[in-house]
Amino acid sequence: MAQKTPEQINEDLLRPLSGTSGRYLIVLAFLAGIVIAALCSFFWQVYAGLGVSGLRSPVFWGFYITNFVFWIGLSHAGTLISAILRLANATWRRPVTRCAEVITVFALSIGATFPVIHLGRPWLAFWLFPYPSERGIWPNIRSPLLWDFFAINTYLISSVTFLLLPMLPDLALVRDRAAGWKKKVYSVLALGWTGTPKQWNRLERAMHIMAIAVIPVAVSVHSIVSWDFAMAPVPMWHSTIFAPYFVAGAIFSGIAALILAMACLRKFLHLEEYLLPIHFENLGKLLLVMSLLWFYFVFAERLTAWYGNDPSEMTVFWVTQTGSFSPLFWLMVLCNFVIPFPLLAIKKTRTILGTSIASVTVVIGMWLERYLIIVPSLSHKYLPYSWGTYRPTWVELTITAGTFAAMVMLYMIFSKLVPIISIWELKVGLREEAHPAPALAPSHTQPNEVGAD
Amino acid sequence: MNALRSAGVNRDNIVVMSDEPFEEYSFGHAEPSVAMPWLAVLGGLVGGTGGFLLARLTQVAYPIVTGGMPIVAPFPTAIVTYELTMLGAVLTTIVTLLITAKIPKWKQELYDPEVTRGKILIAVIDPADDARADLEDRLRNAGADEIKSTGRFSAI
Amino acid sequence: MAHQWGMVIDLDRCTGCAACVVACHAENNISTVGEDQAARGRAKHWIRVERYYEGEFPDVRVKFMPVLCQQCDAAPCEPVCPTFASYHTIEGLNGQVYNRCIGTRYCANACPYNVRFFNFYNPEWDKPLNLQLNPDVSVRSVGIMEKCTFCVQRIKASEIQAEAEKRAVKDGEIQPACVQSCSPHAMVFGDLSDPQSEVSRLARSSRGTKLLGELGTQPKVTYLQRESWHGAENA
Repeated sequence: MAQKTPEQINEDLLRPLSGTSGRYLIVLAFLAGIVIAALCSFFWQVYAGLGVSGLRSPVFWGFYITNFVFWIGLSHAGTLISAILRLANATWRRPVTRCAEVITVFALSIGATFPVIHLGRPWLAFWLFPYPSERGIWPNIRSPLLWDFFAINTYLISSVTFLLLPMLPDLALVRDRAAGWKKKVYSVLALGWTGTPKQWNRLERAMHIMAIAVIPVAVSVHSIVSWDFAMAPVPMWHSTIFAPYFVAGAIFSGIAALILAMACLRKFLHLEEYLLPIHFENLGKLLLVMSLLWFYFVFAERLTAWYGNDPSEMTVFWVTQTGSFSPLFWLMVLCNFVIPFPLLAIKKTRTILGTSIASVTVVIGMWLERYLIIVPSLSHKYLPYSWGTYRPTWVELTITAGTFAAMVMLYMIFSKLVPIISIWELKVGLREEAHPAPALAPSHTQPNEVGAD
Repeated sequence: MNALRSAGVNRDNIVVMSDEPFEEYSFGHAEPSVAMPWLAVLGGLVGGTGGFLLARLTQVAYPIVTGGMPIVAPFPTAIVTYELTMLGAVLTTIVTLLITAKIPKWKQELYDPEVTRGKILIAVIDPADDARADLEDRLRNAGADEIKSTGRFSAI
Repeated sequence: MAHQWGMVIDLDRCTGCAACVVACHAENNISTVGEDQAARGRAKHWIRVERYYEGEFPDVRVKFMPVLCQQCDAAPCEPVCPTFASYHTIEGLNGQVYNRCIGTRYCANACPYNVRFFNFYNPEWDKPLNLQLNPDVSVRSVGIMEKCTFCVQRIKASEIQAEAEKRAVKDGEIQPACVQSCSPHAMVFGDLSDPQSEVSRLARSSRGTKLLGELGTQPKVTYLQRESWHGAENA
C-alpha cells in the first residue's frame, strides 16, 4: 500500500460513488422486492393478528426473537471491534473500521425493529417508552425489556455517532468533488468541515473517548439481551453464564459478518489493493479465538446442566442433544466449530476464501444457536402436559428473509454514497509509514516552533 | 507557518486547513487542549444522576397498585443508571466536539476545495495592505504552491 | 388485613370430568378457537385438566390434575411485564389488566405453569352465542394476554354486597366458576389470611403440596396428594 499516493487513494475509493452498473440496480431491485414482501407480511400480521405466525402456546417467542438476538449480536461486529482496534492502535485497522461500523448501525436498526414486529399490539409499542403518560402509568423498570430499551438506544446513538464523526472529513472530500444537488446534500452532511488543526485535534480526541465509552456499552447491550432470557425461570435460560455467553457469541457472529462484508466489498468494489489478505488473516485469527471461546461456553453450559441433573433442564438438554432438535444442534456445532476451526487454524486455509467460508458457516451457526436457546426451552417447560412444538409459517420466513435482504440492500446503498473505507485515516497511515513519527514527540507545552517543517 | 509567525502575524489570524491531521507538525500543537475526557466524565455523572432519578422518582411519582410488591428495585436502577451514564458521556463528547471544533458551520468564508485534494491551506485573515507583499514572499520562500488573494493565501 | 384468596385442589376427589373447564369458559367469556387453531396450540383454557398416565399396560393408572393460574406470591410473570399489565393486586391475585397489555408475551414465557394465554386472533362468537356472554367480564381483543382471575368479578360482587350489608365476607360465600361446578367438591376456595377458613385448614393438611413449589413461586393453590394412589402402591 505504501506505493499508493494520496491522489490514487482518493480516486480509488471515490470511484464506487460515481455511478452504478445495471447489475447493481438489478440486485438492488431484487432485494427491495424481498423487503417489500416482508413489509407486506408484517402488515398482514398486524391486520389479521399474530395467529398468522407459527407462534403458539407455549412457544410464545420464535423466529422474531431469534432474529432480534441474532441481529443485535451481529451489530457487535462493528463498533466494538473498531473501538478495540482503535484503542489498541492496530495500524491494519484503518481500511476495516468504517465497513465494520456500518454493519453495527444497520444490524442494530434491523434488530431493534423485532421487539415491535413480535408484539401482539405493535401499534402500542410506544407504551414501553418512559414518558409522562396520560394513562398515569410509568413503564415497569423491573422488566428486562425496559433495560433493552435503554441499552439499545444508548448503543444506537453511540454507534451512529461513532460512524458519523470520522466520516465528516470524507464527506467534505466528496462535497468538494460533487456538483449540483449532490453538492448541497454533502455540504449539509459534512457539517461545514474544513480541516483546521483544531477540528482534527478535537475529532481525534473525541473518537478516542467514544472508543473507550462504546466498549462497555456494547458489552452491556448483549448482556441485557441475554437477561431477557436469564431473568425468567425457564429451564436452561435461568443461568449465570448467559451474559458472557451471549456477548462472546455476539462478537463471534459479528466478526464473521465483518469478514463477509469485506470479502464482498473487495470483490464488487474492486478494493483488492486496500482490503488485503492480511486483514482477512488477522480477522480470521480473531474469529478462531472466538470459535474456541464459543465452544468453551457451550461446553461449560452443557456440563453444568448435566451434573446439575435437574429434571426440567435435563429434558431440554436431551431434546437438543439427541431429541427432535438434535439435527439443528449438531448442525450448529458443525457450523460454529467443526468447519471453521480447521479452516482458521491452518495457515494455508486462512485465506480470503477460507475465512469467508468459515464466516458463512458461523453466521448460519450463530443464528441456529439463538433459535436453539429460545425454542427448545420454551417448548419443554416443566409440566409435560403443556409441551408443544413450533414451526414457523411463511409470514415469519418472509420477514426473516426481508431483514437479510434489507441488510444487504442498506449496505449496498451506503457503499455508493459514502467512501466505505476511511480515506483520511488511510492517508494518515500512509504518511506514518513514510515518515515514522519521532520517538519523542514534542510535548504540548513546548513552544509551537519545535519540530516545525 | 513559521515564516508568517516571524513576520509578526498574530497566531489567531493564521488559518490552517488540511485533509489529514498533522498532530506532529507545529500547528497541530498550537491548539490549547480542552479537558474533553473530564467533560465526558462530567456528562456521565450528569447522565447517571438523571438515570438514577428516572429509575427512582418516576416510579414513585406514578404510584401503581402492586399489592405490596416493590416498584423500585436496586438491580434495575443500577442498570438504567449505568446506561444513562454512558449515554451522558457519549452525548457530552459529541457536543464538546461540535462546539469546540465550531461545527456545524454552513457558511464558509474561507475555504478552498483544493484542501481535500491534499493541499494544505494556510491563510492570514485581514492582513494589513502594506504587509501583503511581504507575506506572499515569505510564503513563497517557504514553498508555497499557489497563492490566492481574496485576503487569503494558500500554500502546500 | 386484605384478603388473600387461595384454593385447595384435592387430587383424591378429582374425577377429571372437566366441568370446571366448561364452567370457566362460560363464566369468563373465553372464546373457543376451533379445531384447527386448537391443534396449532392456540386453545385457551384458563383451567385445564392435565392427564398423566402411569404404569405399563394393562396396569395403567390415569392421574388427573386441574391446573389453573397458581396466583403466586412471587410470580415470575409480574416483574417481566414492561407495562404493568401483569401486576399484583392488594388481595394477592396476579392481576392482568387487558388494556395495558401490548402483547410481548414475556409473562407467558416466564410462567412455569403455562397458564397464560394469548389472543392470536380477535375472538368471535357465532350468533346467537354472543348473547350468552357474561356482562361482568370484558372480552379480550387480539394481541393481548389473558389468564385465570380466580373469577375476580365474583369476588368483587360478594365484597361489594358484604360491604353494603355492613358485614364481612363469609367463608364459602365466594365460589369461582370452577369451584361451583366441581361436583365431587375437589376444589375449595377461600381466604388464606383467615386461619379458620376451610381453605386454610385444608391447605395445612399433611397431604398439601405446591405445584413446582421448588421454583420459589409461592403458589396460593395447594394440591392435596392422592392418598388412595399411595395406598394402592403400597398394597
